[in-house]
Amino acid sequence: MSEQQLFKVTIDNITVEVAPGTTILNAARQIGGEVTPPAMCYYSKLKDSGGKCRTCLVEVSKGSEKDPRPMPKLVASCRTTVMDGMEVKNITSPRVIDARAGVVEFLLINHPLDCPICDQAGECHLQDLGYEHGKEETRYEFQRRSFHKVDLGEYIQLHMTRCILCYRCVYTADQLTDSREHGVLDRGDHAQIATMIQKNLKNDFIGNVIDVCPVGALTDKTFRFKNRVWFTKPMDAHRDCSKCCGEVQLWMRGDEVYRVTARKDEWGEVKESSKGSTGWICNDCRFDKKHASDWIIEGPTNVSRHSVISANHYQKLEQPKETVTEVMNGIEPRLFMNIHDVSEVNQQHVQLSLIDGPATGKVFNKNAD
Amino acid sequence: MGRKILLDKAHVPGIRSYDVYRREGGYRSVEKALRTMSPDAVVEEVKKSGLRGRGGAGFPTGMKWSFLAKPEGIPRYLVVNADESEPGTFKDRYLMEFLPHLLIEGIITSCFALGSKVSYIYIRGEYAWIVSILEHAIEEARHNGWLGTNILGTGFDCEIYVQRGAGAYICGEETALLESLEGKRGNPRIKPPFPAVKGLWDSPTVVNNVETIAAVVPIINEGGDEYAKIGVGKSTGTKLISACGNINKPGVFEIDMTISVEEFIYSDEYCGGIPGGKKLKACIPGGSSVPILPANLLLKTAKGDTRIMNYESLSDGGFATGSMMGSGGFIVLDEDQCVVKNTYTLARFYRHESCGQCSPCREGTGWMERILLNIDQGKGKMSDIDLLWDIQSKIEGNTICPLGDAAAWPVAAAIRHFRDEFEWHILHPDECTKRNYGLAHYADPIHIPA
Ligand SMILES: Cc1cc2nc3c(=O)[nH]c(=O)nc-3n(C[C@H](O)[C@H](O)[C@H](O)COP(=O)(O)O)c2cc1C
Ligand code: SF4
Ligand code: SF4
Ligand code: FES
Repeated sequence: MSEQQLFKVTIDNITVEVAPGTTILNAARQIGGEVTPPAMCYYSKLKDSGGKCRTCLVEVSKGSEKDPRPMPKLVASCRTTVMDGMEVKNITSPRVIDARAGVVEFLLINHPLDCPICDQAGECHLQDLGYEHGKEETRYEFQRRSFHKVDLGEYIQLHMTRCILCYRCVYTADQLTDSREHGVLDRGDHAQIATMIQKNLKNDFIGNVIDVCPVGALTDKTFRFKNRVWFTKPMDAHRDCSKCCGEVQLWMRGDEVYRVTARKDEWGEVKESSKGSTGWICNDCRFDKKHASDWIIEGPTNVSRHSVISANHYQKLEQPKETVTEVMNGIEPRLFMNIHDVSEVNQQHVQLSLIDGPATGKVFNKNAD
Repeated sequence: MGRKILLDKAHVPGIRSYDVYRREGGYRSVEKALRTMSPDAVVEEVKKSGLRGRGGAGFPTGMKWSFLAKPEGIPRYLVVNADESEPGTFKDRYLMEFLPHLLIEGIITSCFALGSKVSYIYIRGEYAWIVSILEHAIEEARHNGWLGTNILGTGFDCEIYVQRGAGAYICGEETALLESLEGKRGNPRIKPPFPAVKGLWDSPTVVNNVETIAAVVPIINEGGDEYAKIGVGKSTGTKLISACGNINKPGVFEIDMTISVEEFIYSDEYCGGIPGGKKLKACIPGGSSVPILPANLLLKTAKGDTRIMNYESLSDGGFATGSMMGSGGFIVLDEDQCVVKNTYTLARFYRHESCGQCSPCREGTGWMERILLNIDQGKGKMSDIDLLWDIQSKIEGNTICPLGDAAAWPVAAAIRHFRDEFEWHILHPDECTKRNYGLAHYADPIHIPA
């Protein structure tokens, strides 16, 4: 086979060469970092996904070498393929930043923002999106849309109120299982994910809808409310499984396995297995194998994502190159200040639990005399 | 004055039946095309005619047809868009109800041009009674040898099926229509690929409006050049306009696109003026999604030219001072109508009809509707007006299909031209709920033709 000609595409002034047919989003992922548009609905492992959430909109300032005209509208980078010589603006385009902030606002106006009681908190893509691309305040003043919680069978719960209608779970159910029993009912802002007449989802691979869901709309009933993700340690583990690749992540606390999920890559997508097959895992591995003894544990997962999970010390630690002594021009480090002398809050005679109302400086000064 | 080439026979008694239609010269275009022309020659005539799609976007039909991919061994389809659900548009209904054979004749001739052996009419679910009219006409056409195999002994085969929609406006968008026709949920597809390459069941497909296909009949009968002589510039031929609102004679009119908007509203041949001698306040000239225009900008363009009922003139001035021909749904508002209430009603429609695939349209339409309801009910705030403007600007252009734009434009145009009416509503919360209209001063005194 003759060598395939590559297309040059420039995104935010960084040029990469990619195979024809590559989308702008995937080209940007090759560059990585901030240049990569956020993607809430696209999922590279799911055919036909993408195009819906509009968070990945970018500006094409030059169509191609042959036809340099800019594209008049912003385009969904996840569904637009690159042309040779194309120039794309993502974070260098004020139009994109503005439109994206608009999309984030739209996604949030009907979202319950119940993160404190949501199992997805800490690994939720909507939290990341809002933090990275949204505005601090909402201008929405109406009652938010809400739905009743529904059990989709024994293992999965649907909180439709949190759903952003990315359709990932629909494609997953369609493409990984052989019966079509999970889809969207109604339309517009009253559309909802539903199973056929609330039928249980029984298929062996249906648990994967939990992994693809970017928010806390589909949660694992065997894990619900048992722990917060940032208290658990993700460990890579595997077992011999006749149904799937058997390569998983165990979310452990001590010796206890709280949750089993598929392994994810840096974009939050289920990774290929080490044998090159798909990384989707079966319901047995996910819901039934909850003992450390069921698994061969390989070691802690490298968490490189910017989520709170990485605060759990699982990133490879790097020794700082300079010591404090060096930074301070040879002065030996000692306590910079004695916190007990400086802070009023730490004065032992104040019993915080007995204060009426919020603790303010006044309380402490009054008691300090 | 106006020349009629589509509806000229609409009032012949019994024209709905095959015998009368045939006696009046029906099916000549099929004879002419199949016996004396090549498929490419038919496409060429349509190109020459300058016919533009009558479904709303106004895309040149001949050009659309020439884009159709023709890979070997793969069927091609002609799909007729009879979903007609845009508020204010009811011209296809009239055409199908009174002249079903005209549509069928147009389909056969078009199928011959496109090399399509099977055609579908996707019809709005609420038009239930028209389904039986069409099916009866198809039966008659088949019985008389115009459908089936080896039509007129030329070896050309053609079948037509009628499929009823289930009442969703979005299924009028061509790719949502194809999804629905395939038995799926009517979500618009992400383009490309375009239907001309991958349409119905992944095969090359042309989707055309009912009126577009009907217009092929006079084009083939008279020749593309003759057709192009009617009208001006890029607005050739005749156009069906469905007029409604505050006019004396609501209904469907066939116009040649040279008459002025003023004549169309006030002449007895068309709308017959405004009831009760009231003044004209505003008009939505091309179906609910196009921008509303106040009376002064409706009758004259910003440059001071007389505004004509055609594609170029109605869009003269862009969205700043113009509107669009759209699908020909002409909605007239007299001095007593409230633009805020009208805009709210439209916003409610779009919210209800959004398919919900893309976040700006799904969430934005509902948000706009609620704000507009507040303003209409006297609960609005001044900042709501700018907020509405911002929301519509974040929907427009950022969605998968043009329904997002269609929802944004009416809101944008209402604020652009009638901002003080919104402000008046907010400043007079009691008064605005007691009477059903806003400010009348937009209805500038205008000259009424004798
Ligand atoms: C939301 C939406 C609704 C539409 N509804 C209709 C319709 O009811 N009838 C129609 O002919 N075209 C409708 N269209 C336009 C079609 O997508 C398409 O452009 C048209 O059928 C092409 O036919 P034409 O080239 O003959 O105009 C609609 C478009 C959108 C975005
Ligand atoms: S439930 Fe989750 S995966 Fe499914 S559409 Fe909603 S947000 Fe997407
Ligand atoms: S713009 Fe609206 S109707 Fe069109 S695809 Fe998006 S959500 Fe659906
Ligand atoms: S990721 Fe591209 S539109 Fe959702």
